[in-house]
Amino acid sequence: MAITSIKNLKEFSTVNERFEGAHLLCPGCAHSMIVRELMNATDDNLVISSATGCLEVCTAVYPYTSWDTSWIHIGFENAASAVSGAEAMYKARKRKGTLKDPDAPVKFVAFGGDGATYDIGFQWLSGAVERGHDFTYICLDNENYANTGGQRSSATPVGAHTTTAQAGRVSYGKKQKKKDMVAIMAAHGAPYVAQLAPNKWKIMAKGFQKALETEGPCFINTVSACTTEWKFDPKDTIHITDLATDTLMFPIYEIIDGHELNILYRPKNIIPVEEYLAAQGRYKHLFKPENKHVIERIQKEIDEKWEYLQRREESRV
Amino acid sequence: MKGVLPTDRRGVRELGAEDLVGWDEVTHGVVLNSFDGIVEDVAQVAPEERPYSDFNSYTATVASWRVIKPVYNRDICIDCQNCWVWCPDTSIISRDKQMLGIDYDHCKGCGVCVEVCPTNPKSLLMFAEAQEPEDALAKWPEKKKKEKK
Amino acid sequence: MADKMELNEVEVWDGNYAAAQALRQAQIDVVAAYPITPSTPIVETYGAFVANGYIDGEYVMVESEHGAMSTCVGAAASGGRVATATSSQGFMLMVEVLYQASGMRLPIILNVVNRAIASPLNVRGDHGDMYAGRDSGWVQLDAFNAQEAYDLNLCAFKIAEDVNVRLPAMVHQDGFLTSHTAQNVSPLSDDEAYEFIGDYKAIDEMLDFSKAVTYGAQTEEDWHYEHKAKQHRALMDSYVVIDRVFAEFKEKTGREYKRVESYMMEDAEVAIVALGSTVETAIQAAEELRENEGLKAGVVAPRCFRPFPFEDIQEVLKDVKAVAVLDRSCPMGAMGALFNEVSASMYTTTSRPIITNFIYGLGGRDFSLEDAKHIFREQKGHADVGYITTQIQQFSGLRGPKLGFFESKRSK
Ligand SMILES: Cc1ncc(C[n+]2csc(CCOP(=O)(O)OP(=O)(O)O)c2C)c(N)n1
Ligand code: SF4
Ligand code: SF4
Ligand code: SF4
Ligand SMILES: [Mg+2]
Repeated sequence: MAITSIKNLKEFSTVNERFEGAHLLCPGCAHSMIVRELMNATDDNLVISSATGCLEVCTAVYPYTSWDTSWIHIGFENAASAVSGAEAMYKARKRKGTLKDPDAPVKFVAFGGDGATYDIGFQWLSGAVERGHDFTYICLDNENYANTGGQRSSATPVGAHTTTAQAGRVSYGKKQKKKDMVAIMAAHGAPYVAQLAPNKWKIMAKGFQKALETEGPCFINTVSACTTEWKFDPKDTIHITDLATDTLMFPIYEIIDGHELNILYRPKNIIPVEEYLAAQGRYKHLFKPENKHVIERIQKEIDEKWEYLQRREESRV
Repeated sequence: MKGVLPTDRRGVRELGAEDLVGWDEVTHGVVLNSFDGIVEDVAQVAPEERPYSDFNSYTATVASWRVIKPVYNRDICIDCQNCWVWCPDTSIISRDKQMLGIDYDHCKGCGVCVEVCPTNPKSLLMFAEAQEPEDALAKWPEKKKKEKK
Repeated sequence: MADKMELNEVEVWDGNYAAAQALRQAQIDVVAAYPITPSTPIVETYGAFVANGYIDGEYVMVESEHGAMSTCVGAAASGGRVATATSSQGFMLMVEVLYQASGMRLPIILNVVNRAIASPLNVRGDHGDMYAGRDSGWVQLDAFNAQEAYDLNLCAFKIAEDVNVRLPAMVHQDGFLTSHTAQNVSPLSDDEAYEFIGDYKAIDEMLDFSKAVTYGAQTEEDWHYEHKAKQHRALMDSYVVIDRVFAEFKEKTGREYKRVESYMMEDAEVAIVALGSTVETAIQAAEELRENEGLKAGVVAPRCFRPFPFEDIQEVLKDVKAVAVLDRSCPMGAMGALFNEVSASMYTTTSRPIITNFIYGLGGRDFSLEDAKHIFREQKGHADVGYITTQIQQFSGLRGPKLGFFESKRSK
């Protein structure tokens, strides 16, 4: 067990990075901020699996890899299976004494986009968590299938425009609510589940460390602002993420052992959701008069969710 | 010596400029080794000491993606490391808690580092790619007065 | 340490049990599997071995066959011995990952207990699943009975894991006909079996942290073709290792395997080419025809479906006049796959025998001794006149009006 010190950023910055540049992610992409931070949060060896998606197609394009650790990509849906296979092999070989360095500390991590996690890989993830493998699954939630050009996923929020849930003359974009993946994973009884965001780097790094150090399957949904599909200037990735957490569009919280809920960040000033929506091209159409009700609906749902989270936290059940 | 650190293998070639070898020379199972030979405990080895293989993207450059670039002003910087933690391209070079400069082989010019820099004036600013750093530094703005709210 | 099992010199095992015993003896590190008829007993039997202390490795019961093969891939890339089993719909769910496993050159062993593919759903045997794997880049070995299911599993590990092969391998057996039919099987002792397979040699393993390795990189038009060609070459060339392993196996057990098995072919005038348990029926038919009707019939059975034994087929059929190639899978809009491959082999020879195609046995439809004899006699008819007197593709054992396709454009 070797945790990088994250008392403050200066100290954190002394780690030796294991995620290299000259990957192909868009300028300003939050995926790599999150991945870097995960890898920097530990000194342990890492075995990482990634689902097909922006992260994978941009970081392992023959003949280049941006990974300085063991890394595998099989397909879009099976990152959780890939890592559970690696973890099972680790256990077997440790028992049999065939590992090269049996004492080397190692952590097993899977990365998947929201498409890989909420949609196509849902079953594989559920299975791996139910089986109790010792791994951390990190969803890079940019609320769309970014790699294939911005189609809807079940993580796309109400009112967002995507290429398969378009805003148009008679449509305001996606009509269905975002799936509550955090609750679903908590309901699996996973020992540690959280929703985190890269603008709150310290909370995120601590959450990563907690997940890595917790034995058993842990799940973290991370907010990954996507400059290309959310349509904002690349330089504003952190600003947009600030708006996401401070409007409570993305509340930051953890759930331990499936029930103990802790809110990890309470904005001093809660910002109206309009400001978050207005900053992104994917919500532009919501500002037409006929779509005012959608913004109202979004705000109402945010308020209700926040109320729910606070009550859950207070009730300590 | 390239940039601020004596690492000879960083950004030695443009992506896509590698040799297109024949079927008999591509790697077994499409596997890519990150390093040449053995590196025990990578997390304890500084990048400038690692034997990066040709397959490591560290050895490639994406400098040509940039149209604007961040320029760093050491005189104002407080080494807060905001730019380091949020750079998506591992392009802020920090060693021993000090910000040393920008890795122009891997920086894509997104401008995130400038946005998150807290000093006044900023210690990082975006300039045209062709701008000489000295000229950029000469043009650095004065401290801005806080706007009254 | 796992307990060893005392085995009798001759055991009465069905094909599934025989395969499970071979898997136990191979001391696999990770078995990740999902049940489906008729391969379920392999997984259950292995589970019983786990529960009773005969297995040191991990036994991961996953949520689907796709998950099973995906878990196998993650495990195999982590440097240990890996195997699983499936059939039919489960096989189809695995297909995406079969290609990924072979592309990454991971020597996983998959027992395929052949079964028809829905729709309509059917639990009985045909070769639909086996055929669906034929472009997936795996070595495919075919066992015709329980003894062979046992033997070929031991061989499969040794072939797949050889440094010159490093490709995954399937061991096929026919659902129910082989998998659920108890026969006499002579196993090796645990020590002998393991010694034959040998220790697993890890290559590019993800658990050697001193050599960071990336598996599953993207390749676009400038690299994909070269990788696929290299993989194809490895599978094409794997016959050398297959032959060597079969030879070593013979030395150890006296039991001989060839990539193309042939029976009574020395002087055969007509032949049946078939796969699986049908081979034994065809052999019996040939023997009886030889004895009772003086018909010089022989049987050819590719033991190795992939790599396809192109040259061995040429050799074994070179002096035959008429050949019937039997496909136990509905080709849907084409000639049978085995027919096409055998025909391609023979077309590139000067002998070019007459070749026709029979579809048969779909969904477990019985293929009788009489059916086989009828086919042989028909071949004799073609041989005597020197051209194909029937349609080129026919259906054996099908109810209803006679079904067939295409006529020969070749005259005498
Ligand atoms: C089985 C399968 N179906 C579809 C695809 C096409 N596909 C590749 S990535 C992707 C979307 C990825 O979305 P997400 O998981 O959210 O990751 P992101 O790219 O947004 O980071 C799709 C639809 C595929 N590769 N495999
Ligand atoms: S499309 Fe979005 S998620 Fe994908 S690389 Fe670009 S910014 Fe990142
Ligand atoms: S401009 Fe973007 S890529 Fe370049 S150093 Fe700044 S944050 Fe990193
Ligand atoms: S963010 Fe600004 S002040 Fe902080 S280390 Fe970077 S350049 Fe220096
Ligand atoms: Mg996405």
